[in-house]
Amino acid sequence: MEIQTQEYKRIAVVTVTGRVDSSTSADLEATLQALIDKGKKNLVLDMAGVEFLSSSGLRVLVNAFKACKGAGELCIAQPSERAASSLSIAGVDTLFSIHPTREAAVASF
Amino acid sequence: MPIRRLTIPGRLDAIETACDCVEAGARDAGFDDSTNYACQLAVAEACENIIKHGYSGEGGGDIRLEVTSSPGDLTVRLEDSAPRFNPARRPSAHAWDQHDPPVGGLGLHIIHRVMDHVSYVRRSGSNRLTMRKRLARIAG
Repeated sequence: MEIQTQEYKRIAVVTVTGRVDSSTSADLEATLQALIDKGKKNLVLDMAGVEFLSSSGLRVLVNAFKACKGAGELCIAQPSERAASSLSIAGVDTLFSIHPTREAAVASF
Repeated sequence: MPIRRLTIPGRLDAIETACDCVEAGARDAGFDDSTNYACQLAVAEACENIIKHGYSGEGGGDIRLEVTSSPGDLTVRLEDSAPRFNPARRPSAHAWDQHDPPVGGLGLHIIHRVMDHVSYVRRSGSNRLTMRKRLARIAG
């Protein structure tokens, strides 16, 4: 799994590629938590390159969503078919704002 | 009826190898990409539960997989030597609150959403989990 973060004045865009599973999700959790801890609570999670998303990864997303809520929002941009499938199967797809492109996600803030 | 057998160590980074085995089996069964991925996901969740809860952590023991395929039909059997533990016990029904969704039990929820049949037995000191996915037959 690879994570790239781009911070802007009001938002941060976190691009995740590869497998987000029980062996890698801790790194994503640490990245999101570091942003939240320094006050970045408007987050875009670009998931176009996610190849696998297990419940461990979903837990990280849901927990980060909850941590941002109120002061900001975590939304999802262009989820891969597999990422979208995981979100749907787990029943958490209706929780997040999901945007078809990165640009649309950024513009939503 | 192709049968694939594989033993993986009880490490979280070994689950991907189990997924590869399931992917091949699902492909033999003629599943589309979406169903194939869903099966991989369900098996990964079961393996994670075995490692984290059955063996109480990584390095506790192996997981033996048997993947059986026939047209439209995939059966995955997982066997481990952890203490008595069902890695796919049916989750209790949680009232879904969109404002505070539960994060516990997502793996179990996924297993039972994906698989058509899930059964567990304890036999000869081993936990044996069987998961089956069957494509709906079209009448006519």
